[in-house]
Amino acid sequence: MLRTIKRSYTKFNPEFFKPMAGSGEAISSPKFPMSTSTSQDEMKHFSDLAPSWWDVSGPQRILHKMNLARMDFIQKTLREQYTAGPETYVPGFNYKAFLPRQIAKAIENELDQDIHSQLYGQKLEVLDIGCGGGILAESLARMPFVSKVKGIDLTPECIEIAESHALKDPSLTGKLAYEVQSLEEVAGSYDLVTCLEMLEHVDHPSEILRHAWSRLKEGGILVVSTINRDPISWFTTIFVAEQVLKLVPRGTHHVSKYINSEEIKQWFQEECSGQHQVLNCKGAMYVPLSGWSEHDYSGVGNYFMAIKKVAE
Amino acid sequence: MSFKLLRPSWTLVRSLASSATPKKTDIFIVGGGPAGLTLAAAIRTSPYLSGLNTTLVDAGDLKGKTAQFFHNPPEDFSNRVISLTSQSKKFLEQRVGVQLMSDRLQAFDGLYVSDGCTDAQLELEKDSMGFMIEIFNIQSSLLHRLSGLQSPTLNLIDQTKVLSIEYKNPEDPQSWLKVSLSNGEVFETRLLVGCDGFNSPVRKFSNIESRGWFYNRFGVVANMKLDFPPFKVRGWQRFLPTGPIAHLPMPGDRATLVWSTTEPLSRLLLSIEPQQLALLVNAAFVLDDVDMQYYYKQLEQGSITTQELQEDIAHRTEVKYGKLEDETLIDEIYPPIVSEIDGSSRARFPLKLSHADSYVAERIALVGDAAHTTHPLAGQGLNMGQGDVESLVKVLEVASQRGLDLGSLLALEPYWAERYPYNNMLLGVVDKLHKLYSLDFGPIVAARSMGLKLLQKLEPVKHFMISSVSGKAR
Repeated sequence: MLRTIKRSYTKFNPEFFKPMAGSGEAISSPKFPMSTSTSQDEMKHFSDLAPSWWDVSGPQRILHKMNLARMDFIQKTLREQYTAGPETYVPGFNYKAFLPRQIAKAIENELDQDIHSQLYGQKLEVLDIGCGGGILAESLARMPFVSKVKGIDLTPECIEIAESHALKDPSLTGKLAYEVQSLEEVAGSYDLVTCLEMLEHVDHPSEILRHAWSRLKEGGILVVSTINRDPISWFTTIFVAEQVLKLVPRGTHHVSKYINSEEIKQWFQEECSGQHQVLNCKGAMYVPLSGWSEHDYSGVGNYFMAIKKVAE
Repeated sequence: MSFKLLRPSWTLVRSLASSATPKKTDIFIVGGGPAGLTLAAAIRTSPYLSGLNTTLVDAGDLKGKTAQFFHNPPEDFSNRVISLTSQSKKFLEQRVGVQLMSDRLQAFDGLYVSDGCTDAQLELEKDSMGFMIEIFNIQSSLLHRLSGLQSPTLNLIDQTKVLSIEYKNPEDPQSWLKVSLSNGEVFETRLLVGCDGFNSPVRKFSNIESRGWFYNRFGVVANMKLDFPPFKVRGWQRFLPTGPIAHLPMPGDRATLVWSTTEPLSRLLLSIEPQQLALLVNAAFVLDDVDMQYYYKQLEQGSITTQELQEDIAHRTEVKYGKLEDETLIDEIYPPIVSEIDGSSRARFPLKLSHADSYVAERIALVGDAAHTTHPLAGQGLNMGQGDVESLVKVLEVASQRGLDLGSLLALEPYWAERYPYNNMLLGVVDKLHKLYSLDFGPIVAARSMGLKLLQKLEPVKHFMISSVSGKAR
């Protein structure tokens, strides 16, 4: 345990910045000789979890709960991309502070509706990397502003579960497609690429980021969420969540694979300098009885990050 | 897991039903009462939910008789009158956009509550504390609103019963629900909402346990005509040992009666001459319990004429009035005199408490009386249902923005979590009040009277009670 803590203090994760080793000696799965693959252990862990994936009171309950916060984060990020149209009057001052509450509320509602109709008029194409049983992919596919979602994962059992679950909802027909595929094999480009609770389960997160970024249309948004490599994360995600409260199946997390939010920012700074814009980065914490909530300390514990691809 | 309501024509309907192709709908509402119709209209007027395919089914003649009430209201008030809190009214008018028939509802500016065994009383005053309104007014105004919306996504089916409910895949409780109707149509729904009252078939299908008890009391309702329109418009309630009697204002010189009493007495109140009932109502707010018991007995035996009853009550009332310090107090502490009661408007219903263990199950939500019923003494029954609708719609809006399957437990759980504690508290308070006031044991009567007198002096507590009654605490 002490060693784990000590390791979690390591400032840099050597794995994270390690350049790809050519033909890939680190790659353990011969079936997926790709840089974006994952280890056999991780695959086995998730294939064992597959049958109970959609049981909202089962072992994945906390992930189902987290999905609520993730959808809120994605929706909020997308909304912030729009500004009021010419028809909507928004005062040039802090109207919430200076106008009577009822008027401020009316302005806010109108602005809200304006942005709502702009966003809901969109037809976004989404790629969900590491979709697992499809918790996020289904939620995204139900949004009226999403026209197509492609979910990929390396665990066939999870994709099977995801596909059979999607059949239960006729409104998903034609909008949602799953495939057992590694990221390199994905063709096409997307408006939104999501890579949530996934980077901490792969061997070469930087490769995932690189490929995910390349699948993004210009102006598209990449949403990433993972866990900071710090003692607090070890305490919350492994000690409390896996060992004491058993909210998360044991063996789901490994501190050494966690990635600090600053490391991701730094990676983008070095690799995509001038072509990216970090739109939003929020910490997330689980509050028993009330669920997941966002906070501003993105350097501690779980976090969500949205990065936009901008023209140079 | 499949549950079927047994009907004599089951086999015939079954063969009809299975031949029909199931229609798909997102939300299927069973019951077109105030809760069901409000839910349909609130979904239709929500910017986030209006695109959902909604179906409402009711056994009654909604499109005919109920809808006509709005355009061709009868002259007399109907006997199903309830109190609507300002919070519920605000939700209906501002959020749902309903225009209630304003000439058929009456705002009241306070409540005067007294103990039937002592002279302890409690006066709660607030402008437009609540509104007395016919259930038909609410239903028909909602139907008018719905027809004005002209929505292709809303399907209103009346004069039709639900024959059976089953999971599409009996082994999978997360699969959609298949609802077969008596008109041969079959629906497959993402979410089934039971607004189908105390005996809710939806609740029975869901296997959600409902607990509670009968109070062994009946509520007697009637429409009353007063001597003159009241100067001060307020509700009057007196806790008799047999149960509370309430005299509630309607527009002009009309008022409505809700008299909770024992089973034999409720039968008596329905069988005596309407004129005798009017006299009894007047007496019940002024005279002592012994006097009332005497009249009940005489009326039961038929050994007193209307004339004699009138004279006796007049005499005893005079004696009571004579004991007051000041004659002007009469109008202050006793309700306006009832001159006439419409005999045909009399009805009675059993009083009970029930509360479902949960309001949600996979693909199922319960709303209003399907989830809880309460004693009418606080006038909260319908308002609890309105609060449920408000909460459920809010929860569905959030869930749809998060891309959840609206029928999944994950989406519905917050609705139950928000409403259950509040409803449970209200049911509990009303239940304890009923029990406290159904006793006539000396020391307890003394203690509760002292409590009521103390309450009368405690402004902050009174203020809290007023805000609870008018629904602001929600």
